[in-house]
Amino acid sequence: MSDTNGTMDRRSVLAGLGGVGLIAGGALGLTTPTARGASAERAAAGTLPEAAQYGAADPHIATIGLRWAFTARVIFADRFNIAAPVQRGYTSVGIGEIWGPRLQGRVLPHSGADYYKNTFNTYYLFEPADGALIFIHNRGTKRRFVAQPEPGAQPVPDANPDLQAPGGWVRFRVAPTFIAPVGPHDWMNRTVFVANATKHQNPDHTVFTYYEVL
Amino acid sequence: MNPSQNPIPDTKVNGDVRLDFAFELRARYETPRLQHTPKGHFRYQDLVSGAVTGARLTAKVYPNSGGQYDTVRVDQVREVDAHFILNAENGERLYVEHFGYRASAGYYRVIAFLDADTKGAYDWVNDTTFVVTAQESPDEREVVFTYYVAN
Repeated sequence: MSDTNGTMDRRSVLAGLGGVGLIAGGALGLTTPTARGASAERAAAGTLPEAAQYGAADPHIATIGLRWAFTARVIFADRFNIAAPVQRGYTSVGIGEIWGPRLQGRVLPHSGADYYKNTFNTYYLFEPADGALIFIHNRGTKRRFVAQPEPGAQPVPDANPDLQAPGGWVRFRVAPTFIAPVGPHDWMNRTVFVANATKHQNPDHTVFTYYEVL
Repeated sequence: MNPSQNPIPDTKVNGDVRLDFAFELRARYETPRLQHTPKGHFRYQDLVSGAVTGARLTAKVYPNSGGQYDTVRVDQVREVDAHFILNAENGERLYVEHFGYRASAGYYRVIAFLDADTKGAYDWVNDTTFVVTAQESPDEREVVFTYYVAN
């Protein structure tokens, strides 16, 4: 069974995991087109966290699923700006760690930076526990809102757009592409991800929670 | 400063991402043209027409504004790369770019970023990451993209 078997019924894959899989498949109502991209390798990976399925009011609109894949905590080394015609920011990667169901290891120390213009444009490397090198290129968006919206509601932009100001809710979202070696991490070469990025201080670091788009 | 010398606080807390439906785009393309390249097969589809429907955006695809510029890699995975311009019902124009992968069954998973006038009605797209699922017709000439906001 290969990852490219797009006709496989995801429920049957989950059923192979036993009772937990059956419960998860039923709870998610995986009868939509997006469920057909199911992967046998997920079964091989063992028990994974439950995926969340998102849809629209109109049942004819395709639904989509997200499932936590791994989290990376990246501790930055230094920051500065270059006064180019469009300002170029520089935030360099110091060290970091990676944990989660589908990838564990570290950020390769000093392997790159966020070289941003307005928004994320990062280039650096992951080094999972098996010693592979995985290149990550991240792009993304950031915006400040009054508060995190209720499900289905639109977030209300904050009158003060300063991302550094206290209070409010700053939504940082990033979408990576990976280049991974042929082998156990090859799935990352053909998987779309979206991540929550949450900034922290002392030291300057960000926690990126990566979700696999199912 | 070497960050490894600092005590690192316990911030190993996962953040969540929630998807909220935004709009649907139906794109019509010409028959794909394939060329063999060192990176695999370059696959070009000229955009013929298209329309966006949904509560947050109603638009038509701007004529001759781009297309889909995919690469079928040596491992047979097709990298989807679609760029074009939308003409919103209020006359404003938006740029949309997509990148992601096509699954074998004709479904795409892509990320989309849009640019709009910051003083216009669609400024909200400028700071939004869209997670998109798309379905290709059997003749590969129509693709329906369903856009979700990553909240």
